[in-house]
Order: sequence, then C-alpha cells, then structure tokens
Amino acid sequence: MAGKEIRLDAHRIVDEPFYLAQGDEVRIAEISYRCGMPLLLKGPTGCGKTRFMQYLAWKLGRPLITVSCHDDLSTSDLVGRYLIRAGEAVWMDGPLTLAVRAGAICYLDEVVEARKDTTVVIHPLADDRRELPIEKRGELLRAPPEFMLAVSYNPGYQSVLKDLKPSTRQRFVALSFDYPAPDQEAEIVQREADIAPELARQLVRLAGMTRSLGDSGLAEGASTRLLIQAGKLVARGIPVRAACQVAITQALSDDPELLAAIDEMVSSLF
Amino acid sequence: MELDNLKERFFALVAPDLPNDWEVEEALEGLTGAAPDLVETVLAQVPVIWPVSNSLCYNYLGQAVGALSCFPPAELGTWVNETLDRYEKGGLQAAQRFMVHVEEEFVCRLRGIAGLRFDEVQGRLLPYVRGLAGRDLDLAAAATACTDGETIYLPREISLARGEADNFLLYKLTASFQWAFLELGSFAPASPLLPAAPDTELAWLPLARFFDSLAHPGLAADIYLQLESIRARAFLARELPGLMREALPLLPACPAWPAAGDRAGRLVSELQCYCLSGDIRDASLAAAHGRRLRHLVEPGTDAARSLELCRDLHAQWCRDAGDYHSPQPLFFQGTFRLDLVLAARNRRRRSLEQRFVDTLATVLVQTPAPGKGTGGDREQAAGEAPAPDVALVLDSGGKRHRDAEQTAFLRINNEQVALDEELEALAREVTDEFGFLPPRFISSAAGRAGRAAAIGAPGGPAGGGEVQAPVVYDEWDHRRNGFRKNWCIMTEKEIPVTRSTFIAATLARYRGQIVRLRNQFEMMRTTERFLRRQRDGDDIDLDALVESLADSRAGLPPSDRLFVRLARDGRDIAALFLVDMSNSTQGWVGTAIKEALVLICEAMEKVGDRYGIYGFSGMRRLRCETFHIKHLDEPYGDGVRQRIGSIAPQEYTRMAPAIRHMTARFAEVDARIRLLVILSDGKPEDYDDYKGEYAIEDTRHALLEARSAGIHPFCITIDHHAHEYMAHMYGAANSIFLDDVRKLPARMPEIYRVLTS
Repeated sequence: MAGKEIRLDAHRIVDEPFYLAQGDEVRIAEISYRCGMPLLLKGPTGCGKTRFMQYLAWKLGRPLITVSCHDDLSTSDLVGRYLIRAGEAVWMDGPLTLAVRAGAICYLDEVVEARKDTTVVIHPLADDRRELPIEKRGELLRAPPEFMLAVSYNPGYQSVLKDLKPSTRQRFVALSFDYPAPDQEAEIVQREADIAPELARQLVRLAGMTRSLGDSGLAEGASTRLLIQAGKLVARGIPVRAACQVAITQALSDDPELLAAIDEMVSSLF
Repeated sequence: MELDNLKERFFALVAPDLPNDWEVEEALEGLTGAAPDLVETVLAQVPVIWPVSNSLCYNYLGQAVGALSCFPPAELGTWVNETLDRYEKGGLQAAQRFMVHVEEEFVCRLRGIAGLRFDEVQGRLLPYVRGLAGRDLDLAAAATACTDGETIYLPREISLARGEADNFLLYKLTASFQWAFLELGSFAPASPLLPAAPDTELAWLPLARFFDSLAHPGLAADIYLQLESIRARAFLARELPGLMREALPLLPACPAWPAAGDRAGRLVSELQCYCLSGDIRDASLAAAHGRRLRHLVEPGTDAARSLELCRDLHAQWCRDAGDYHSPQPLFFQGTFRLDLVLAARNRRRRSLEQRFVDTLATVLVQTPAPGKGTGGDREQAAGEAPAPDVALVLDSGGKRHRDAEQTAFLRINNEQVALDEELEALAREVTDEFGFLPPRFISSAAGRAGRAAAIGAPGGPAGGGEVQAPVVYDEWDHRRNGFRKNWCIMTEKEIPVTRSTFIAATLARYRGQIVRLRNQFEMMRTTERFLRRQRDGDDIDLDALVESLADSRAGLPPSDRLFVRLARDGRDIAALFLVDMSNSTQGWVGTAIKEALVLICEAMEKVGDRYGIYGFSGMRRLRCETFHIKHLDEPYGDGVRQRIGSIAPQEYTRMAPAIRHMTARFAEVDARIRLLVILSDGKPEDYDDYKGEYAIEDTRHALLEARSAGIHPFCITIDHHAHEYMAHMYGAANSIFLDDVRKLPARMPEIYRVLTS
C-alpha cells in the first residue's frame, strides 16, 4: 500500500494554482462536488479548463488524476489490468480505479477523442449509482463521497466522428468556458508569463485580432495558453516579434496568406 | 520594309487565320519606315499575342515601335508578357493602358524602382484589416486612400519607398490609418455643433451639412481631416507601436508647401507638419492653439474636440482663404470622402429597411388577425385587403434602458403580440442606426402584409387539382407546432444536359490542386490500423498473450483473442451532397459550386467513400424538385461530369422538402456514418410565403428529422447574413460560412476531410 500512497501523493496539488474566476464556476463546481455530481467542461482549446481543474482540486484538497484521452484508449487502460510480476499475476489499478479507491478527482481530458465503447465505462460512475464494476476481478467499487469525475471537450471541432453520445453527456453538470474578457486575460498572461502589463495587453489584443479571423479561414484564434507561452519566451530574452512568430503565428495555421496576415498584425502591434 | 511585304509576313505568322485586309494594313502602317531588324523583333511577338486576342495584337503593332524607343529590344518579350498578364486580368482596356504608359508602368520598374500593386498586397492585407477591425471590412483599389465605413480604399500602387518590403509597410500604414478613422469615429462625431438631424433622410450626413454651413467648406473639411489625422497618428502610436516605429522613417520629412500668398493653405500644411513630425513649428499657431492641438494626441479625446477646434481655426483663417488650394494630402492619410460614407450608410440603411420590412410583413401575414379565424377572412380577397393597424412598441417612452427589462411588443389592431427574436433584434438594429424607429417602415410592412393577404394565404393551393407526383412530404409549421400533412410534392428530375467545356477547363485550372487533393484523400483511405485481440490474424498480439497468461495464472479463464490483424480502416461513410440550384446562384456562385463539386468528386474517387450529388430547387409546395446528378453508388464518369457541368440556376430555395427527400434516400443506405452536406447561398425561401421564420423553422425541423434518423447534416454557406440564423438552423458546429465564394472549390474538399477524420 505504501507504493500506492506515493503514487497518489504525486497527484496532490500543494501550492495554490493561479486561477482567475470568470463567474461563479468555482462555487458551482464545489456544490456539484458536495452533491456527488460529475462535471463536464467545454470550451475552446487553451482557455483554462485544465487549470480550473487544478485549482478546484487544490481548493477541495483532493488529488487530481488526469487522463488524456486518445482513440486507442481501452477500458483496461482506465480500469486496470493484471500484470505479470516475478511469475505472479498482479492486479494493477488503472487511473480511474485508483481515483475511485482514493477518493480523488479523475479528470478525463478531451473525452471525445476516446472511443465510444471506452467512454461507457464511466456511465455507472457518472450517475447516482457512483460505482465502478471491475469485471476482471469481479469487484464492484463504490465511490466514496470524496471522489469526483470530470471530463472536458472542445465543442468547436466539426468532425462528425467526434461528438459525445447523448447518453454520456446527460450525466454531467456542464460548465461552459470561453476566453476571458480582455482585462482579465491580460492579467492572467501578465501573471503567468511574468511580463509587463503593457506587453500582456498587446498580446491579448493580438489574440483578439486572430480570433476574429474565423470567416477568413482560421478555425480557432490564439488561445490564452499560446499568449502565455509567447510571453514566457519574451520574459527570457527572446525578442517579442520572434517570440510571437514561433509561439503564436506558426502555431495557428499553415496557410501562407493567413500566416502573412498574422505576421503583419504582430509587426504592427510590437 | 514595304507594306505589302509586311502584310505577307503577317499573314504567314497568323495562318491559318485570315484577318481583314484593311485592319492589318492599318495596324502595320506604323512599321513601314522602321529598320528591318526592329521590324523582325516586333513581328516575332505576333504569334504570342495573336491567339490570345486579335485586337490586342493590332494594338500591339501600333504601340510597339513607340515602346521600343523607351527600352532595349531585348526587353520586348517581358513587356509583351506583362501586357498579356494585364489583358487576362483586366481585359483589353487595361492592356491598352499598360502599353500606352510605357514609362510609368514598365520602364520605372525596369530601372529597379519597384512599386507594389494593390492586387499583390490584397491577399495579405485583407485578413490583417479584418483582424484589426474585428469585422468584415473589405479592401478595394482607388486613386487615393479613403474609406466609407465598409470598404477601405487603397491606392492602386505605392512606389514611394525603395524596396517591396517598405512599400508594403506603407500600404499597411495607409490601411491602418483608414481603420483608425473608423475606430475613432471621425465620420460621426458626437458633437453639439452638428445639426441634429431627424435621421430618416437618406440625403445628407450631419458632418457634411456642418461643413456646408461654414464660409469656406473646403477649408473646413481639410482642417478637420488634418486634425483627425493628428489624432489617428497618436492613436496608432498607442495601439500599433510596432507599425509606427517601422513606418516613421519612411514618411516624408515635411509636406509639399503651398504657394506663398496662400495663408490658409499654409495652415493646413502646418497641421500636416504636426501630424508628420509631432511638433508644432509655427510659433504663432503654437501660441494661439498649441494647448488644444497637443490635447488632441492624448488618449481619450474624441472627434467632437477636433470639430470644435476645426470651427475655431476655420473662423480665424477663412478670411484669408481667397486663393486657397487644398494641399496635396499625405498619401497615408488619404482623403475624407463623405459622399462615399453617405452612400455606404444609405446602402446599409436601405438593406436594413428592406430586411426589417420583409421580416415584419412576414410576421404580420403569419399572425392571425385578432378576432378572425386562423383561416383568414376571404371576403375581401378579390379587392385590396385592409392593411392591419400596426404599431411596434420598443422600450416604452422611447428611451433605452440597457439594464432594465426591455419591453418590446407588436400591437396589431389594438392587440399585443410578442415580438419574435429576429424581429426584435432587427428593430434594435434599426433604432441604433436611425435613433428611432421610422414610422414608414411599419406602414410599408403593414401595406405589404395587406397585399399578401389579398393574394392568398401562405401556401394556398396554386393550381387546384394537381397531378399526383411521386413523393409527398409533410411540412413543419412552427406556429401550430405540428406538421402540415402531405404538403409538399417532390419530383426527382434529370438535369437537361448541355455541352460545355466547363469540366475540361476546371480540370485544367485546378490541375495541381487535384493532384494534391488526390494524395491527401488517398492518405485518408490508407489509414491502416492493427485490429488487436482478434481470434485470428497475421501476428500474435503480445499484450493479449501476456494478459491471457496473467489471467490464467490468476485463475481466470484466459482469453482466446490473441492475434493482431492489419486492416484498412473501414471508413464506411456515405455522403450526399445537396446543392442549392436556386436563382440566386447565378454567376460566380454557381460556377464556384460547380467547380467545388468537380474537385470533391476527383478527391472522393480516391478516398472510396460512397457519395451522391443532388441539386434542388422548385417553386411552391406543389413543385419541389430535386435534380439527380449522381446517385450514391453510381460510378463517377462522363455522365456525372456532364451533369455537373450542366447545373444551372433554377427557381427558389425551399430547402426542407429536399432535405426530407435526402433523409428518405438515406433510409435505404447502410453505412456507419451518413453525412449530408448542404451547399447553399442563402436563407430558405420560396415564391409563396415560405420565408423568414417559417422557412427557417421548417428547415430546422427537417434537419432535426435527419439527425434523429442518424444522419449528420452539415452546411456550407456563403450568405453574408448567415450568422443570424445559421447556428439556430443547423446547430453551432454543423455549419461553416465562407466569406468569399471563390474559396469554395479549395475549401470544400478540406472541409469534407476535416469532417470525416
């Protein structure tokens, strides 16, 4: 059991992560937690979903176990499997089982990327039963009140293959995230990247410009995360235009005309 | 060389064509006295130009000798190539212009003084400007820079700086300046000086009227432009410091100076100086107005301040404005074209009025008149039905309270009817634009509704006993929250095939792109993946084996699924493309749609998904039509290509029956993913009262029916008003808007690829 403690401790969040609330999402999440209801976070990429989960985990004092979903994620990757160790078959809990046992918060990031047959294992956990059947061991785990399930996805993807089934989505308290208001976003970028307020404001302005290019062929504008990355490069001595070029422009598109246009915005602003 | 000799040579060059004798003679006249080797050089280009355009060739013969006096004969080929370039882009006149202005158009560049043309920068600047403004501004070329609020006009060419990069920077500066004027509200200052206009008039702009009321309108307008430019420069220095830092060294040191006696001209030039250099050089100007001028560059000043100062400066200098000539504007500041601003405003207002009246009329027709049955009273159907007595009430008292609960309702014949969202949003737009809701909007909507009621109820039987058509569909009526049973009659038709070179031309034009698309789509097909844990397969699945061993040690029944099989990913996608063939697709739109279809077909052949293409149109509920272009499993061959080439605009856009028809077709199809891609250029609309909310709700319902049948509908639209209804009709992530129809052929395969991977 000692090993398990260590594994869990690694997931504990000790220092308060910086999170600037947009509305009453923190309160809603806390109440959902107390009522044992799972959370669904939706919003564009890099707008603060994961950071919100970290903050919530810190606030509730629970470990946070994050699983990044992909299309090869199988049920045993989540629940656990037998492994051979020294000629012995040893059961190894998957992250979901681990979280249920320890009363942690399990966060499935980009849940739509997982195959639909994988996502159904969370169904019994995500309603009032709050239980996880482990078929291989013939075990039925009941989640303690401290356990919380949270999933996230980006509704902006237009692929018909990537959508949540109604039976999955209708189990969650859904919080919708978007990029913060300019002033707030500037504050976030300034704090996270440790840069001057003026530079942060200009970065946010740049992001605003790219976000209005939807009709010109840019599916998603620069995210807060990109701004912070650009800001960090600047704070460590990279010239601001070069930093924007590598951290924002090139990260957004491959289309030469759009790249040129974003470059022009960068060179106008800085 | 003699004319006869020349003619003989010419006819030999253009054979087998036999041009008119007299035309040839006239064209060759200029060459008669020229040196023989010069004539040979000139004639050598004839075979290049003749096949492109005969008249261009005659023109060329007339101009060539003159042109050769400007540049060495070795450059003639380049000159001809550029002429042909111009011809292909701008037609005969553009090419002629190019040939006549040898010095400016060609020789300058030959000497290395490279200018930058508008069409070279447009692609880069357009997204830049839209990003700046956060809305869909357009760019266009004009003699001098200006803007009307919807389009930013830029000079056709900028060649003030040395290199291309610097000239581009100047273009960018010019565009940013025009944006700054818009952003700073230069055209509509909120100032008590302006005449308060009852703003229904389309004829005048308060700012223009203000200038006209002064003693010397031209001077006042120029002063105002300079003051606003000073403000714009300071604004840009704050907002876009990078741009200003780079562009400043390229700006002229001082403006052109006016004639000695022109004191008012001097003032304007002094102001230009201030705009360029940032300090006031003229001591008396600085003493009298320095504080107020400097105040303009501080953040937070508004256009009203400029206007006040403009009035005072004008009052002081208008006595000296006897021989005032407007100084040359600085190239980046351009001019204020209040006439264009007015025209754009009027365009916007008219379109707003049109939309508002249309929507209100539709609502009125569809709202049952109180006190009468829903069927409507037809007693007066023969004559003019009385226009209903209508009033639209927004925010009692006319004052706007942003935070307070807004009251908005429609009063028809003294009964209150709640406004629907679309109409309310439009009404707010109208009050924002005009300051109030002009009564004539309502009366004309009421009048139109009265006339429509006289003609017939929505969807009234068109011709009595219609012949029974093959398929009948219901139509959703959102007002009664139910279906109108067997309402639309759908006929599937064949497209009348016409012969054209469209397909060959498209294939040639997009040759490179098609190759690339085929590669991309082929990659999608060959996503090979290992199927793991199979009962049989090509190789042993080690994970499964280990697990099964572990299971067996643990005392569990081991699995027998221990093999890996390599499988091509069975995409199992069936897609139907439904193409809007309504009247409005005439021209560019139709061509782009057809090109897009050709490209997607070429690409689809590689990916191997099953797909079909149908067009739709029709008129009234009894004659809805879909046109067969390609059935789902029909091979893509000449027949299909010909039918794509023959797609032509038909009648109206009653979209829902076509969607229902596609849903019915899909019902017979067994596929894991069934995708319905709709290509449209506007809202659903039909000849009768199938429009507005009714049409949108019906279409939305048809899409919901499709979705519940397991079909994924997706719409590609190029309607500029699409944002208002698209998300509602299709769902937020199920549609895409293209701002430029010319992008459609390139984007459509890409969209399909993203959709299905």
